[in-house]
Amino acid sequence: MAETLLRVENLTMHYTTRAGEVSAVDDVSFTLDKGASMGLVGESGCGKTSIAATILKLLPENAEIKGGHVFLDGTDLAPMSESEIRHVRWRRISMVFQAAMNSLNPVYKVGDQIVEALETHLPQLSAQETRKRVEDLFRLVGLDPKLADQYPHEYSGGMRQRAVIAMALACHPDLIIADEPTTALDVIVQDSLLREMTELQKQLGMAMIYISHDIAVIAEVSDRIGVMYAGKLVEFGDTEAIFKHPIHPYTQGLLSAFPSIIGPKRELATLPGEPPDLISPPSGCRFHPRCPYATDVCTEKVPVYEEHRPGHFAACWHPLE
Amino acid sequence: MAQSTRIGGAPRVDRAEVLAIPVWRIRLNLMWRGLRANAALFAENPIGLVGLGIILFFALMALAHPILMSTVWDKGTYDPVLGIDLAIPLHPTAPSATHLLGTDPLGRDILSQLMWSARSEFALGVVAALVTVVIATTVGAISAFYGGLLDTAFMRLADLIIMTPFVTILIVLSALFDVKLIELAFVVGITSGFGGAAIIIKSQALTIKVRTYIEAARVAGGSNSHIILRHIIPNLLPLSFLYMMFTVTTAIFSEAVLSFFGLLNIRMSWGLMIHTTEYTGYLLDLGKWWLIFPASLSITMLCAAFYLVGRALDEIVNPRLRRR
Amino acid sequence: MRGYILRRVGQNILTYFFFLTMVYVMIDAQPGDYSNIYLGDPRLTPDQREILRARLGLDKPVTERYVLWLKSFAQGDFGVSFSNYPRQVIDVIIERAPRTLVLFLTATVVAFYMGFLSGKVLAWSRGGFKEYATTIGGVSLYTVFTPWFGLMMIWFFAYTLGWFPIGKFIDPIVWQDSPLSAVVLFQRMLLTGVVSTIALFAWLLVIQRIEPSRRRVAGWAGVVVVLAGILAYWLPSGVAKYAADILWHLILPIATLALISFAGTMLLTRNSMLETLREDYIMAARAKGLTEKSIRDKHAARNAMLPVVTSFVFSLAFALDGGVITETIFSWPGMGLTLLRAAVSEDIPMAIGALVFTGALALTAHLVADILYAFLDPRIRYA
Repeated sequence: MAETLLRVENLTMHYTTRAGEVSAVDDVSFTLDKGASMGLVGESGCGKTSIAATILKLLPENAEIKGGHVFLDGTDLAPMSESEIRHVRWRRISMVFQAAMNSLNPVYKVGDQIVEALETHLPQLSAQETRKRVEDLFRLVGLDPKLADQYPHEYSGGMRQRAVIAMALACHPDLIIADEPTTALDVIVQDSLLREMTELQKQLGMAMIYISHDIAVIAEVSDRIGVMYAGKLVEFGDTEAIFKHPIHPYTQGLLSAFPSIIGPKRELATLPGEPPDLISPPSGCRFHPRCPYATDVCTEKVPVYEEHRPGHFAACWHPLE
Repeated sequence: MAQSTRIGGAPRVDRAEVLAIPVWRIRLNLMWRGLRANAALFAENPIGLVGLGIILFFALMALAHPILMSTVWDKGTYDPVLGIDLAIPLHPTAPSATHLLGTDPLGRDILSQLMWSARSEFALGVVAALVTVVIATTVGAISAFYGGLLDTAFMRLADLIIMTPFVTILIVLSALFDVKLIELAFVVGITSGFGGAAIIIKSQALTIKVRTYIEAARVAGGSNSHIILRHIIPNLLPLSFLYMMFTVTTAIFSEAVLSFFGLLNIRMSWGLMIHTTEYTGYLLDLGKWWLIFPASLSITMLCAAFYLVGRALDEIVNPRLRRR
Repeated sequence: MRGYILRRVGQNILTYFFFLTMVYVMIDAQPGDYSNIYLGDPRLTPDQREILRARLGLDKPVTERYVLWLKSFAQGDFGVSFSNYPRQVIDVIIERAPRTLVLFLTATVVAFYMGFLSGKVLAWSRGGFKEYATTIGGVSLYTVFTPWFGLMMIWFFAYTLGWFPIGKFIDPIVWQDSPLSAVVLFQRMLLTGVVSTIALFAWLLVIQRIEPSRRRVAGWAGVVVVLAGILAYWLPSGVAKYAADILWHLILPIATLALISFAGTMLLTRNSMLETLREDYIMAARAKGLTEKSIRDKHAARNAMLPVVTSFVFSLAFALDGGVITETIFSWPGMGLTLLRAAVSEDIPMAIGALVFTGALALTAHLVADILYAFLDPRIRYA
């Protein structure tokens, strides 16, 4: 039995704006085993990036964790202070950001920025060992080690992405959270990068949370998939189960919106309506205004997040069976 | 053209009626609404309000002077340039009931001087500001739109202007020419217009130029001048307005410095008041504070006021500085 | 990098040339000409006047006179100063320029540091009373009527508290038995200053190669060594007390000039920091587990500094103007004071000479700041 690395329980995060309080992450729970990979998929603004930020407590001033736990190897990260969580960051959990190309500081050399991470978390290494590690990391992601002495603006987009991945791997973390790492790249680079990332992950035995709005990409890299909608986790299960037997109507909608190059031509189904306003979300199930199967109970009561099949969770009053 | 009403709902507006409203009316309404929203944003920032308050104060002073002169004050005694109080033998005198801020070494009432000069300061500011706005907007728009050699030339000129110490040049100019207030206003306006403001406005114009509605206008058959005048320039005006404020600060400051050194051909101004104090030997005699403090304070306050208003406007025009 | 520097120097020379042309246009555009001053003697008949005009070259066409003017400029011949007759303008410039340089450079560096540090601190405590108070305070210093501010400084620190002298360059009583003239001594002081600054800068470049953790200690060690060197040179030389006298006279003017110049930098640094903090790489730095201090000083500050340096370049002109006013108020005998006195007394050759010097100083300062910027921002080096 694989060990559980990360257990998120009832995590809730709100942030305050001028217009009101935004319920960005609401009562989200899932687990991730060591060395396993999972994906988080959903529309823009559904909260998938917010979850990543909440786990590492990289929240802006106006955001607050309202409840829940984030257990990393048994230790709850949610109540940790800034100085405590700093030791977790990068060393145990690292991140590859959306449009990661901007995560590199333009005035410092790329190699120096990775060295910085190493010096912070692995100070016991000598200068020489640190240098060597940077070179190894570069080779690992397919970059020429000589590039370490250059500046970010001298790299191409794909190279920068690889450099950022190298940086995320620097301290050999237990978990990498990749937030849409390939969205800004062209399809060919995207494809090769995805394959390399999966290989690296298996090779180094790290767990990965892959965040994207593209379910096809997630299916390629993840063992398990979590579907998010309007700040809530509506479905969570093995990739195959999600694709073959989706439980939540939203998941079904996502899957049918994706064209397939095999099989007969069919009209693409789209979900009517728009994602809801998170300041005053719909009552009961947040999906009910767009759900073709919605009934009165969906507008009144928040559906319970429970295990419908072994290892396959969903929150719906009318699960598809 | 009847307006029918749905039961229990909002009145249904007739389409033909809506189309009958002239375009200029709709535009005016939109502008008015935009203005109100911006005014509300401006009012949130106490810095801008303080600045505006000070400006109003001095404006009132400027307006009050002619009223006072024609009613309460006797022209012979209170004229800011020629007046002299013969009742008192020794000038300058400390503030008293008849002279609220005292008199200067030449026997003239200081408060009267202060109020009269406020008028010329505003006149100076307005002229300089207008000149700057016209020049900076035009240069910025043309540079951005046409690019090429014209753009390079204007930008090089702007670089040169930014690099050169302004007051220094003015000092030398005043040695070579006879500089009066109106000429100073134009010099300030022209240099500000071709200087830093032009560069910033050009950058803004560049971002506007690539927006889709410009392309739409072109596809619809708009000529170059039409696009520049109707689309680009109106979007530049908020930024120009912002720079106008800084120009006024520069204008008032420059005038004060030049007058202080006695290099400006002007009959009365705040700077000149301090100059009078200087050449009559009372500069370091700080016991006679009324000779220096009111004028200096006025200069500082009015300059600061326009600058504060400019900064407050900056927070509106530049959304990245806005708080949530 | 080298190419960038060469290009900027070339551009600067071109701009200076343009500047000189503008100056000449100004001179030529004045109503009347030199002949009115030189030949103002009413006893001259119109014929004699014409002969003299021809002698002075005033009857030649504009372009020829322009070229002649440029030629004499290149040779350093600005003519004779009317108010300092019979001294040559160039002599006066050589004598007084170092004093302006010291005042301007020191005040500018101090102002930049003050502004940057206070702006950085201010950015971290957004909102609240402190922000408004500092903004209004900063703006007041920025827009205060400079002559008045200078007077207040004199009145408070020199007159009332008696800590500093009221103005001027030296105290004649102290200097009665000095072996060296003030001019020579000051030149030596300037030389000391320049040499130590270059030495420190070179040291800073050298220690970039050491490990970051040792760099701080090495930096401060260098400062100590340079200071020791300065003292070792001056103390046994016997003229230290005269140098100290000049320094004592320098403090108040420098403080005044720095105070009026720093507010702009402070406000801009604050804004720039706030904008920089929203950048993605700051979020990434935080995710890397770096301390707030490290993020602020290492990542944010370096990037936030860039627009500040750019605007600092703009403010150099303002500082030069401020220098003219400060020199006048404090009777500090530098080029600023010279410029003003020349303008007031209509000593045109001197005024033009001072203007040309100021222009050269402005451009050089601008060039140095641009190079500094390229040093800080690697992206600009290839522009």
